[in-house]
Amino acid sequence: MKLILTGLLAGLLAVTAAHADEMVFTSWGGTTQEAQTKSWAAPFEASSGIKVLQDGPTDYGKLKAMVEGGSVAWDVVDVEMDFAIKAAKDGLLEPIDFNVVPKADLDPRFTTDHAVGSFYYSFVLAWNKGAVPGEPTGWADMFDLTKFPGKRTFYKWSAPGVIEIALLADGVPADKLYPLDLDRAFKKLDTIKPEIVWWDSGAQSQQLIASGEAAFGQLWNGRVFALEQDGADVGASWNQNMTAADVLVIPKGSKNKASAMKFLATATSPKSQAMFAKASGYAPINTAAKAEMPADVVKSLPDAYVDGQIDLDMNYWAENRDKIAERWYAWQAK
Amino acid sequence: MSGNLSHRPPILRRPAGIGGALPALILISLFFVVPVVALLLRSVTEPVPGLQNYAILFGDGTYARVFLNTFLVATVVTAVTVIVAFPVAWMLAIMPPAFGSIVFGIIILSMWTNLLTRTYAWMVLLQRTGVVNRTLMDIGLISQPLPLINNLTGVTIGMVYIMLPFMILPLVGTLRAIDPMTLRAAALCGASPFDAFRRILLPLSLPGIAAGGLMVFVMSLGYFVTPTLLGGTSNMMLAGMIAQMIQSLLNWGLGSAAAFILLLVTMALYALQLRLVGAKRMTGGI
Repeated sequence: MKLILTGLLAGLLAVTAAHADEMVFTSWGGTTQEAQTKSWAAPFEASSGIKVLQDGPTDYGKLKAMVEGGSVAWDVVDVEMDFAIKAAKDGLLEPIDFNVVPKADLDPRFTTDHAVGSFYYSFVLAWNKGAVPGEPTGWADMFDLTKFPGKRTFYKWSAPGVIEIALLADGVPADKLYPLDLDRAFKKLDTIKPEIVWWDSGAQSQQLIASGEAAFGQLWNGRVFALEQDGADVGASWNQNMTAADVLVIPKGSKNKASAMKFLATATSPKSQAMFAKASGYAPINTAAKAEMPADVVKSLPDAYVDGQIDLDMNYWAENRDKIAERWYAWQAK
Repeated sequence: MSGNLSHRPPILRRPAGIGGALPALILISLFFVVPVVALLLRSVTEPVPGLQNYAILFGDGTYARVFLNTFLVATVVTAVTVIVAFPVAWMLAIMPPAFGSIVFGIIILSMWTNLLTRTYAWMVLLQRTGVVNRTLMDIGLISQPLPLINNLTGVTIGMVYIMLPFMILPLVGTLRAIDPMTLRAAALCGASPFDAFRRILLPLSLPGIAAGGLMVFVMSLGYFVTPTLLGGTSNMMLAGMIAQMIQSLLNWGLGSAAAFILLLVTMALYALQLRLVGAKRMTGGI
């Protein structure tokens, strides 16, 4: 059924694909995409005269269906970096034209031949102050059911983050995480499995914590930032915060490649990156962006918490993505 | 009757050919038959030609559990739906038509309301901090929130609610056809109300229960939205697993094989339904 739907959808989308003076930007919805629309798409429309249509949420299956079916309706897509590395290898992405997209100031950690950084973020430990006794101080507390009873929420999909959290909580030193000891990680996760509520979108993670439905959880720092801006009663620990990145890619066969490249140039410019960081709480991937940002914003970004910070290994994940995913979903279904 | 047919004006005669059905047939072959064939082909050609996708599905404990779970959920949902739907259908069958149409209206209206909206409403009601748990805790019946969501309970509640009309409608048709005099006769012969129900009403309504039950069971087998939102990861059903294979694992060969198995099971059940109930009764009963 789903496959038929995917095929049909790709076909339908092709009919509605953007015209010459339009392009489609796809991201993850919610507060993040709103910030991207405001900080990147709006100024780009004003300067280029190209209309940016918004779509979402990002769906890797749909992206693959579009590329393989030859009817690509998305021109720029915000994806997780480990997926981008794998997708480039599988021939799903257009190479970036660095004659159009200035490369000099882009953080090399998040720049590849087929992707430029979108933003980077940290997984932090966030909690609802009304639902948690005391203050959790680190990932190990998420596995301590006596000291911190209640539901805990983690990212549902197989992606960098939860496995690492389990290993850190089990006492693996941060510099010895890779290659990941999956047996050990799942054994540790087994100890709290009945208490886990999974979140599958950023908006859901916010809802779970803000309502107290889950007492605490592993959240993207920008989503916690948005909750705080809204006045929700949440706390956050940056202890052993884990960085990962979203990148922007152009699916192979995009019908508006030239516009898409120009869009990437605008989206990664210092000014747009600074604007987005201010609106979202996520860190810029353009090293010149900080000069454009107010001091209090700089202070709230992952960059300000480098002490004990752990970089999730995107290359390791890109390499082992399928193998880990298989075990991950099998374990979840148990 | 058939002898008179030729005397009717041409417009009332049964059309001889399938000309009128052609648009629908083209639509179905284009958007159903062709994709299904493509699905089957994908399942035996990706990543390499052969039956390895089916071997994986049948040989792996995880997938076996998902298959089992799918049947378990469909069975529980069907059983609960029958029990909940029967009194409603009976009431509708014996009600004065004026009231009956109001109740019918309510049932139909719920069918027309967006599925996602209804499922999200259940999330709001059933979650730990939801209306049901809050109320029960406020009146002191429970001290800890009941686990009503992210488990089989949540899936069952949400799906029974959605399936009810599909059970009630065929059942009302069957119940209306039962002569109420048979029940009165049973009472006169000394049968208790329960005996009358067990020995008269229930056997006579079996065709309706079978028709509705099989429809609910088959629909439940392929359900996606409600189990995904109200169930936990350990309640994963086939449709959820297929979505995961297609969207997250990008393993379309395996996903297609799973989808094809689901389709086969559904068709087999439909064939069974035709044999048990008869196509005429099934389609005419609604």
